[in-house]
Amino acid sequence: MFKKILIANRGEIAVRIIKACQEMGISSVAVYSEVDRESLHVQLASEAVCIGPAPAIESYLNIDKIIQASRQAGAEAIHPGYGFLAENSEFARSCEKEKLVFIGPNSKALALVGDKIRSRQTMEKAGVPIIPGMKNIPKDLSEYKQAAQKIGYPVMIKASAGGGGKGMRIVDNPKDLKSYLEAGQREAKSAFGDESVYLEKYIEEPRHIEFQVLADNYGNIVHLFERECSIQRRHQKIVEETPSQALDLKLRTLMGETAKKVMQVSGYNNAGTVEFLLDKNKNFYFLEVNARLQVEHPVTELTTGVDLVHQQILIASGEKLSFKQEELFQRGHSIECRIYAEDPVNNFLPSSGRVTFLKEPKGPGVRHDCGIYSGCDVPIYYDPILAKLIVWAENRENACQRIVNALDDYVVLGINTTISFLKEVINHPQFRKGKTTTSFIKMYFDKWEGKKKTEENLRLALIASAFDSFNKTYTGKSAGPAQKEIFSPWLSLGKWRLGGGK
Amino acid sequence: MEYEFLVNSVLHKISLEKKENIFLVSDGKKTFKADICFISPNVISILIEGRSHKVYLARDKDKMYISLEGEQFIVQEPLESGESFQKSEEKSQEHELMIKAPMPGKVIKINVSEKENVRKNQTLAIVEAMKMENEIKSSIEGYVKKILVSAGDLVDSENPLMELVKKRGVP
Repeated sequence: MFKKILIANRGEIAVRIIKACQEMGISSVAVYSEVDRESLHVQLASEAVCIGPAPAIESYLNIDKIIQASRQAGAEAIHPGYGFLAENSEFARSCEKEKLVFIGPNSKALALVGDKIRSRQTMEKAGVPIIPGMKNIPKDLSEYKQAAQKIGYPVMIKASAGGGGKGMRIVDNPKDLKSYLEAGQREAKSAFGDESVYLEKYIEEPRHIEFQVLADNYGNIVHLFERECSIQRRHQKIVEETPSQALDLKLRTLMGETAKKVMQVSGYNNAGTVEFLLDKNKNFYFLEVNARLQVEHPVTELTTGVDLVHQQILIASGEKLSFKQEELFQRGHSIECRIYAEDPVNNFLPSSGRVTFLKEPKGPGVRHDCGIYSGCDVPIYYDPILAKLIVWAENRENACQRIVNALDDYVVLGINTTISFLKEVINHPQFRKGKTTTSFIKMYFDKWEGKKKTEENLRLALIASAFDSFNKTYTGKSAGPAQKEIFSPWLSLGKWRLGGGK
Repeated sequence: MEYEFLVNSVLHKISLEKKENIFLVSDGKKTFKADICFISPNVISILIEGRSHKVYLARDKDKMYISLEGEQFIVQEPLESGESFQKSEEKSQEHELMIKAPMPGKVIKINVSEKENVRKNQTLAIVEAMKMENEIKSSIEGYVKKILVSAGDLVDSENPLMELVKKRGVP
């Protein structure tokens, strides 16, 4: 087993991986950019190394600096998290060359599944169903135009090098093709350092169903069932759950076995996810392999009882899978909401700045994977994900109620978040019925403006402000700037005096 | 004790008067009793006519960020100079419009040039923050008078990006 692992990421996922290291008795090394000196992952890790200025391209995407930090700290393995270098085969190759273990698939499999076009060709040959689309990256606009005509509008622009909605656009009208392609290429370039985009047929109103797979270095492969991630905004997942309401035992088994086959023909090892689209007639199409730990991995952990980060580390260190397919079961229901720093009532504009106060939701069956704290700054440079709220309950209905209550119990002050929006999504009658498609948000929340502020609440806000100012004036005490530690016993014990009980 | 606060650029007045353990609250329209106390430095409990309210509050410079019953408010203390609280958009001459950055970010592209005519909803610039591109669109028909930033610049929220002039006779 490894003694020391470097985590080449930031935010909630770096925190999640550091905690797994602590649980396994492994020393952790955080890397950080100049604006992340005070970030949570830097505080939690056993060691921390600054790897450069704020822009990701000069720090979290800088392969040389990360390899150098690993050698300097004496780490034996690197966990890339998700995003940044997680699916960069050049990075995986550099690690292999430097005799550092990349906690993820081997660089050859990563290069294959990361090349969305080559992987589709491979899958097509292996008999896995795929969506009609381009088979190469064109050199100029006219080739894109021709391909779009042939596939038939609407077409989808997709980044060759990554997922997560970056670089993605739907083109309904031929006249928009040029400007959307340009925007997609720029986004792809800034997110992944590679501007290649391609086109494929856009299937309307499908469900997004993905299968979690674990493969060890000895050819043993299991799937850990599905996650449904149909609730998306701008092709970015915002709510995920398992089990899916659309699958029965037969379809689940068929899709799971197909997912395993995808990994087998790719020569894949470690944790990965096979994404499918499921149409309303229950036909499924292979989309792509996400060759990394997924943002939404916790819902699988809560329903299968398998810790995916532990498994990733065990597999990377050369352990065999300790369980077989027939030993895996789904138990209960789990839902995750992604908490983004975006303003839901103002066209989801990114919201950076100081988190002046955070109250984390708590309770039975509630898990909060979090990268922020009261008093931290959210920089403009990175993905707006702040945290993930995940619940587990005996069934879907209870899970829905539990996550709504937890969202009610969740307070972030200072920046805008999607908390209020997520609450309404879960409370929507169509969501409660399990009628979820990837068009859900566009269909039901396109013109969402948020709840109207009530007179009564405004008055209460003013009373609280006046009360706070009153105390500031008369006692010099006030809420003051952000409190960094709200659970200090000095604050929660209330008034007391030494020997006062006598 | 009288207090003045700005919420969404609107001025509100409220007074608190301490009577033993209770406060007399007056907002100009009516006066009522309220039992108010700190639960912790960021949590205030308010009892009015037996109803219990929990308010979360955190200060940052001159702003108070408040959350109650899932609603968010930003309450600001007015500046002492007593300057006018109108938005500067409205302050500028009627036929001119200042386009501002809606959030902190980086200018990726300026899509227009000075003196160029612009249509309503035409994209003027692209500002990127948190890896998402956001198109800044024109809310009017007119022309570009002056461009104040260039591609690559970092901008803060409310930073002026460019000045537009409205076409006469068009609302």
